[in-house]
Amino acid sequence: MRDTLALVLSGGGAEQMSVLTSERAVSAIPFGGKYRVIDFVLSNCCHSGIDRVGILTQHAPTSLHDHVGSGRGWNLDRRDARVLILQPYLTRAHHGAYRGSADAVARNWDVVSGSRARRTLVLPGDHVYKMDYRGLFQTHEQNEAAVTLAVAPVPAEETHRFGMVQLDGQRISGLEEKPRATTSRLASMGVVLFETAVLGEALGSSPRDLWVDVLAPLIQRGERVAVHRFEGYWEDVGTLDTYYRANLDLLEPRPRLMLDDPEWPILTRDEERPPVTMRPGAEVEASLVANGCQVAGRVQRSILFPGVKVERGAEIVDSVVMQDAEVGSGARIQRAILDKLACVGAGATVGGSGRELTLIGKYAVVPERARVGAGAILGVGAGPSDFVADQVAPGVRIADRFELIARP
Amino acid sequence: MNPRYAFVLAGGLGSRLCLLSERRAKPAVPFAGKYRIIDFTLSNCVNSGIYDVGVLTQYRPTSLRQHIGIGRPWDLDRTRGGVQILQPSLGLLDDDWYQGTADAIHRNLVHLRRRKSDEVLILSGDHVYKMDYSVLYAFHKASNAACTVAVTEVPAEGISSFGILETDAAGRVTGFLEKPRQASSRLASMGVYLFDRKALFEWLAEDAALKDSTHDFGRDLLPRLVGRGAAVYAYRFRGYWQDVGTLDSYYQTNMELLGEPPALELHDADWILHTQSADRPPVRFEPRNRTARSLICNGSQVAGEVVNSILSPGVIVRAGAVVRDSIIMNDTVIGTGARVDRAVLDKEVVVGEGAKVGLGEATTPNQACEHLVSGLVLVGKSARIPPGVEVGRNARIGPGVTEADFTAAVPAGGVIRGPEPEH
Repeated sequence: MRDTLALVLSGGGAEQMSVLTSERAVSAIPFGGKYRVIDFVLSNCCHSGIDRVGILTQHAPTSLHDHVGSGRGWNLDRRDARVLILQPYLTRAHHGAYRGSADAVARNWDVVSGSRARRTLVLPGDHVYKMDYRGLFQTHEQNEAAVTLAVAPVPAEETHRFGMVQLDGQRISGLEEKPRATTSRLASMGVVLFETAVLGEALGSSPRDLWVDVLAPLIQRGERVAVHRFEGYWEDVGTLDTYYRANLDLLEPRPRLMLDDPEWPILTRDEERPPVTMRPGAEVEASLVANGCQVAGRVQRSILFPGVKVERGAEIVDSVVMQDAEVGSGARIQRAILDKLACVGAGATVGGSGRELTLIGKYAVVPERARVGAGAILGVGAGPSDFVADQVAPGVRIADRFELIARP
Repeated sequence: MNPRYAFVLAGGLGSRLCLLSERRAKPAVPFAGKYRIIDFTLSNCVNSGIYDVGVLTQYRPTSLRQHIGIGRPWDLDRTRGGVQILQPSLGLLDDDWYQGTADAIHRNLVHLRRRKSDEVLILSGDHVYKMDYSVLYAFHKASNAACTVAVTEVPAEGISSFGILETDAAGRVTGFLEKPRQASSRLASMGVYLFDRKALFEWLAEDAALKDSTHDFGRDLLPRLVGRGAAVYAYRFRGYWQDVGTLDSYYQTNMELLGEPPALELHDADWILHTQSADRPPVRFEPRNRTARSLICNGSQVAGEVVNSILSPGVIVRAGAVVRDSIIMNDTVIGTGARVDRAVLDKEVVVGEGAKVGLGEATTPNQACEHLVSGLVLVGKSARIPPGVEVGRNARIGPGVTEADFTAAVPAGGVIRGPEPEH
């Protein structure tokens, strides 16, 4: 694995993720009570012996920079192991943003060729899964392939979310991009291992998208493209629904994704926080609660990130509450996602039992006794002035107000 | 200002902590779930801007060494300064161990040679408190002191466990009594000394030459200095401070963290307690668990009942188990239906299904450990308690005990010995 460079496509600011990605890339979204989405891929790399990683990103990279830092959390700060965050940059010949995944790789080709890596492993940064890439390499070598795709089975009703792969024996005969109806049940995980020379050659024609402009032509041209089947848990958390579901799935009695596997720990940038403090009045059931939380209220089927404060009599049900958010006494939160440092005043109500999720953006403040209807979205930094008669009606979206953020 | 330097004394035997410090130095004993006792002192140092620290070890330093490592959690992995572990080295004698606290510092003065600090701070590694030492430095300077001793007020009945200082109105020390029965003062030395560099060198050399000295700051050096009228001052610290050197004070101090409000606030963004944190997932609260007034660390899984207790990282409490008024250390498992009451369980203990640890009210003192008298049960590291077994109060279950070591219920004050340590 020493001769491999991993390139993580950190994902853009996926519109579907609403206020959660106003100020961060999908891969930097908090997940599972103390992690960020990208931790899964970086941990996979670390445990698979891949120690040179580039992260291609362009949408609001600050959060990702803060999190990844020097790469210490994943043992990537060694003499011969490293992590680079690769943002778009200016040259005399070109400027502007990455136009797509293939373009992003092409623009950073100096990093790839400079690494002298014989193989390049392309990884989406917004998927949650635990995979030993060494299996993929084995398949690649056994098939003497130029390119190997990792694929995973998906149910028929979900094929429209994925790039689907048509097989002819062990060989790929065709690709379909997010088909409504198809006979294939094998989705590409976006995990692709290239012989670096083959990738370099394919990038010569200034392609935009790795899937459409690089892979499809390679297959058509008859290059040896192999598939590697992955049977474990794998989830693309790039939409609100899948993100929310993947989080709450962790609360099942036997979750499909085990966070506490000593053989495959999920590594992250750990913050120094005191133990979870269960104050009088605390009742926490079927939930994950991270260090630094102080709970005096009721928490059911929810995920609390480090430093969340739940005051007496407050109730949090079926929700995801991110770092340092505060829920005042007697407040009620149901089916909601509260971003970092959100503050819900005493006696306020957020969300409801309906199907729709309610979102409270980073730094947003819900005043005391106010109501945020089910399905409403409070943008980053929204505050009391956004409430009409102490209410944000169901389904209403309040825009981000970056300029008003005064809290540290 | 020249950079500051601190010595942390972390070598004591800690025999009053019984088996908790049998195989580790007292400062390395887990505390408040995820911390070690020494974390308080090390965090005080860095939070006070002292980034050059020597930790003096002697008794079983392995655990402490592993915990401190290169000092990264405290930002003590530095190009200049940082943390150094100072284990005694062999000199002229076969048993060249540190004789007393003053001797330990005297033999490490070599570390001050290339350092330019004008004062030398000497700390204990086994106290629980949050203190800004820069205030002590300011007091020291303002008083023109040659030595400043930090003191805290203790209850009248407690003076016999401490060095008690008598002072005049300006804070100058007029009397120093080591563990007196009676005294006019209730100001106890916290084991925090700030010395002028020159004075310290002089006094230590003088003390080292004395045949009848035990070479201890509290017993020999400070009383002598005060007796001859040296400029020794007492700095009154008003925050929370606990010496956790005895089993009962260790237990009590842990339990005081569960108060409303707690005696010492761990959730303090302005005074973060740093420690070595393992990568563990968030605490998992299973359906139908009941948990109240407790501290629970990442990696733990709670399905049973946990009341008024402290759980270190990775503790598993299975369904139907009840843990009350107890301290449970890393990766211990409490089996289905088991009960643990007023007990301290060291790391990696397994309590079998339906076992009862801490049963009844009988208060027979422990047969082997004179400090185990208040009803606590102690279970050593990696001990396995068989299913259904009952363990009475003041019992001591040794480290590494296996199920075969139990023949019947363990009575109050009982002892189950495990395999002896290899050395």
